Amino acid sequence: MPCEADEEEVRGLIGSREALMEVVVGQGDLPPGGVREEESPRVRGNKMELEGLSLSYGERMVLEDINMPVPDRSITAVIGPSGCGKSSLLRCLNRMNELVDGARVKGKVYLDGEDVYAPGYDVVGLRRRVGMVFQKPNPFPKSVYENVAYGPRLYGVRQKKVLDRIVEESLRRAALWDEVKDKLGSSALALSGGQQQRLCIARVLAVQPEVILLDEPCSALDPISTQRIEDLLHELKEMYTIVIVTHNMQQAARVSDFTAFITVEEQGSPGRLVEFGETGEVFTNPREKKTEDYITGRFG
Amino acid sequence: MKGEPVVAVRSAVRSPSGAPPLGEGNGWRGLLEERAAKAARKASMADRAAGLVFKAAAAVSLAVLAFIIGIILVKGLGTAVRPSFLFGRPQAMKEGGGIGPMFISSLYLTFLTTVIVVPLGVGAALYLAEFSRDGRLVRLVRWGTESLSSISSVVFGIFGMVFFVIYMRLSYSLLAGALTLTLMNLPTVMRVTEESIRAIPWSYREASLSLGASRWETARRVVLPAALPGITTGAILTMGRIMGESAALVYTVGIFVRKPPLSPLQPAAPMAANIWHLYTEGALIPDWMRVASGEAAALLVLVLLLNLGAGALARVIRKKMGIVQ
Repeated sequence: MPCEADEEEVRGLIGSREALMEVVVGQGDLPPGGVREEESPRVRGNKMELEGLSLSYGERMVLEDINMPVPDRSITAVIGPSGCGKSSLLRCLNRMNELVDGARVKGKVYLDGEDVYAPGYDVVGLRRRVGMVFQKPNPFPKSVYENVAYGPRLYGVRQKKVLDRIVEESLRRAALWDEVKDKLGSSALALSGGQQQRLCIARVLAVQPEVILLDEPCSALDPISTQRIEDLLHELKEMYTIVIVTHNMQQAARVSDFTAFITVEEQGSPGRLVEFGETGEVFTNPREKKTEDYITGRFG
Repeated sequence: MKGEPVVAVRSAVRSPSGAPPLGEGNGWRGLLEERAAKAARKASMADRAAGLVFKAAAAVSLAVLAFIIGIILVKGLGTAVRPSFLFGRPQAMKEGGGIGPMFISSLYLTFLTTVIVVPLGVGAALYLAEFSRDGRLVRLVRWGTESLSSISSVVFGIFGMVFFVIYMRLSYSLLAGALTLTLMNLPTVMRVTEESIRAIPWSYREASLSLGASRWETARRVVLPAALPGITTGAILTMGRIMGESAALVYTVGIFVRKPPLSPLQPAAPMAANIWHLYTEGALIPDWMRVASGEAAALLVLVLLLNLGAGALARVIRKKMGIVQ
């Protein structure tokens, strides 16, 4: 459905999170976590901080004592050999690991200075602020429009005109609008893999997150789609903090500003953070030997 | 195939008795080829034989089905398609009566039962499939419903009479019948719904939860709509079963009436039970055979249409959601 919204109007309405929250809530009572507060007590420049994070599924310890920052408005790549816990680490950031029976988390994860694992923390709000894109694109069996509108509807947005604008803007930001603008009502499952993944990104963008987590988002896609998504991430990092797990080191080197290298001692032992730093440094001048070994392909 | 190496070791191979190797010049490749050819001939004959047997089985089943449907339609379709019959008043002692009230009773009963059993069954199945974490509870309920579904319908009828008609003082009524049929069909609806729900991939739920939805919101906005084709099919198939039910209704719905029911508290005479009634005691009506045949044909056509509709509806819903299965 064509949306003839004026560019200015749309920017004014959607361009700032405050504006969207006003639209969503209707009166401008903004929930505390919904707006970036410049004076919140967080370490300067870090959107999130992991402190002593350990994760175990039942008896098996999967991650041990992870301490790392997630710098604001930049792309942080998490690399490491298969099975070292990269995906599990990602899921600790939006508390999705709780969906697994027997998952236990120790340590703290700070978002804007607040520990998200503190008792009473608003998990629903967390998942809105920290969105996730999965390895295999998983659009709902609904139309393209309904997929993107799912989030805003969840948060109470009902007026069609507002939803139309949100859907259009989200699809534009995900670089998908031109391809689907004439078939917003058609099924999302009819899109190609690359388009479906961008749709999932649009779906996340529609709820105005602050952090976007991507779990090997391109591993199921062809090189051209991968390229488009990497370009997209470059654009997105100006507004969002991005964490991307990838087993593809070239991708990590191309795309990210910071890199975290996670690995295990041996099969079955928990993953540990070996090194964290600016991507350029980590790839050309790693501090740890293990990092160097992994990057040069000596193992992993 | 190891042609050359075999030749190379030919001289080294001996059978246990020390005799030279069998077959033509190439070691035992020739022997193998002979045996393989024989086995292949046997296999293709077995293939053809099996194909014939299965085709025959299918043909017999279809023939029986066609025979039954054919007889019913031949004997009754002529009567059934006349509006004066379908909507006409039944006669007690004279010829020329219709089955109007029975037709309405069937529709009314089906509607009433469906409206009770589907929400109940879907709700229970949803709870079991989505929200219950207790494996033991799920197994217990499943055992209970499986047992229920294997009980004869007459037993349900007697239970219905004792509990709904007498104890709950509903007396012979549509409601008593509907409640009895609800008990009978609850296991089916629950099972179909549960299977539909479990067939939905975890990835949809994961996506919904990661956007900040609760389990209930996810169930309501993603899971149930996606399970709709399966649930609809189950509901419509249940409707077909309700239409054909007679034993459970004999003691509950009060089939000896000739007026259309207006409220659910009134007795009614649904078609299947009425057919039984006519055969058992219909000799009062001179043309009871004609009426019964017409009624049977009408019932059959109704159920066939219902089943066709179920398939079509499910396909339409699937297309709308873009599911390719």
